[in-house]
Amino acid sequence: MAPDGAGLYQLGGWTIIGLLVLFYGGTLLMTLFISKKNENADSYMTAGNNVGFGISAGSMTATWIWASSMYASATSGYTYGISGPIHYGLWGALMILFIYPFGKRIRAVAPKAHTLAEVMHARHGKSSQLMLAGSNIVGSIISITSNFIAGGALITLLSPFSFNQGILFIGGGILLYSLWSGFRASVLTDAAQVFAMLGAVVIVIPVVFFAAGGTDMFVTGAANLTPQQSDFFSSDAFLNQGAPYIAAVLAYAIGNQTIAQRLFAVREDLIKKTFITATVGYGATIIGIGMMGVMALYAGIVPLDGDTNKLIPQMAATYLSPVLLGIFLIMIIGALSSTADSDLSALSSIVMTDVYGQNIAKKGEANPKTMLFIGRITMVLATGIGLYFASKQLDILDLLVFVGALWGALVFPVIASFYWQKVTNRAFTISVLAALVVFLPVRFAWLRFDGTVGIMVDVLSVIGIGVVLGLMAFGFFGLKVAKIVAAVAIVAAAPFSIGFLHNYAVLSGSLVAYAVSTLVCYFMCFRNKATFDFASIARTIGDFDTRSDTADGQIEELTTKKQA
Amino acid sequence: MNEIFLTLYVLVWPVVVLGVLWVLGRAFIKEILQARREGRSLI
Repeated sequence: MAPDGAGLYQLGGWTIIGLLVLFYGGTLLMTLFISKKNENADSYMTAGNNVGFGISAGSMTATWIWASSMYASATSGYTYGISGPIHYGLWGALMILFIYPFGKRIRAVAPKAHTLAEVMHARHGKSSQLMLAGSNIVGSIISITSNFIAGGALITLLSPFSFNQGILFIGGGILLYSLWSGFRASVLTDAAQVFAMLGAVVIVIPVVFFAAGGTDMFVTGAANLTPQQSDFFSSDAFLNQGAPYIAAVLAYAIGNQTIAQRLFAVREDLIKKTFITATVGYGATIIGIGMMGVMALYAGIVPLDGDTNKLIPQMAATYLSPVLLGIFLIMIIGALSSTADSDLSALSSIVMTDVYGQNIAKKGEANPKTMLFIGRITMVLATGIGLYFASKQLDILDLLVFVGALWGALVFPVIASFYWQKVTNRAFTISVLAALVVFLPVRFAWLRFDGTVGIMVDVLSVIGIGVVLGLMAFGFFGLKVAKIVAAVAIVAAAPFSIGFLHNYAVLSGSLVAYAVSTLVCYFMCFRNKATFDFASIARTIGDFDTRSDTADGQIEELTTKKQA
Repeated sequence: MNEIFLTLYVLVWPVVVLGVLWVLGRAFIKEILQARREGRSLI
């Protein structure tokens, strides 16, 4: 260890190389134990739809914990004070919880599906499929890039290596263990990575707490907090961090193929148990890590270069011993690797299923070997694109604003499509596009919002609040309770929101997207006489690869596929 | 805000994480042993 220019301690070059070889070498070794000479194309995407509780819950937890979420939680703690990590981690955890009732329905309707977009194709047709698949692809590319940037920045901060060397180590390591077995490798290594990550969290948080001064820190540093930052029920934290995130709960869950993939992979009777465990695991980990931001605030620490994303590595390099700093590095590398490998698997599944399987191959003639080749090429290309964007250090998270809005606009049409026979492809497509058209001027304040326009935006936002809370209730309690919850939410929120909410562009932008897509979709559908047989989806979507393989992966039979 | 409450507020999360680790660890080991007994791949 040698102190760097900022007074922080760094790990030596060989130490970093040793840790990365240990981490990625160990991960690769795990995947070699399960790899087969001839992988099955469906297992490459969903691991046979029969994954057990321990592996799937570990994988869901590890996938949802990414390096950026750790940094963002600490930033929230540093910016908004003691309630900040709750307003980041709790609502992020609820994304996992609130999707599982819908996941059970989706799984019942399409037990052999590979992607959510594939089910949309069976339900509606191409335009809704490509909208969802397109948003999934952009979201996963953003996630991969963001994780590479987080890893490169960490290695730069804690070692003599450059940013580009750091992202090459990480990108190469992740691709190496994910490429051959796809989702099977991702799920198994996630389960192992979650033990490294959560184990590190258990050690690092108390050590930093006591090294930073322990309980005394809260007495001596109290003057560093504003009244809002020291208020557990801070309205500032709720309106700027909590509320926009509550609005995003269903949007991020619906828009993320990494969640859908695990919904299709886990044994059907274990969905609830798996997702509740992952909710608790993610929430406790991310809120716990966010406490490092709160501690930095009390300790009066100023982020390096004014960048709050450097706060966690800075706290670690300030307070941890060399051994614990190595454990901390593994924690962050585990967080970003487990998410990036899941995004690579998600992207390969989308290209294999939604691009090749349903739009390039002739109906019923998708070749499993070609699918596997396409899946692996997709992983290589996605890693290359992620490394390119990361090396340019593009502020790619700005794109997440648009993707998040698209996901918000998709929520009602997607969910309604699984329960309501009357939803049509035309209503689905037009409602999503209409929501985006209204979202943009609200989110970026292209119009003056005083007077009537502001009131109209607020009315739509209040309807959006009803839609969000109604859909959340619908998943657990059904339509009757959902209608009551939505109505009560609208009546309760209206007096506090109308004339006021349009001042919060991020929040009202996403609420308006929910409201418009719901209203347009509902009014385009409620009069039509269309019926739909949901059982037809299960008949339409099946395995692409019906070759049976033995334990060592030798093909026994070469009847290709049966998908209708 | 009371410093004792804040201390508990910071340190409760690692304890919850430890509980999750225990649940996941037990399930993971059980699945490994079951796969070995049945002579099949873990996943």
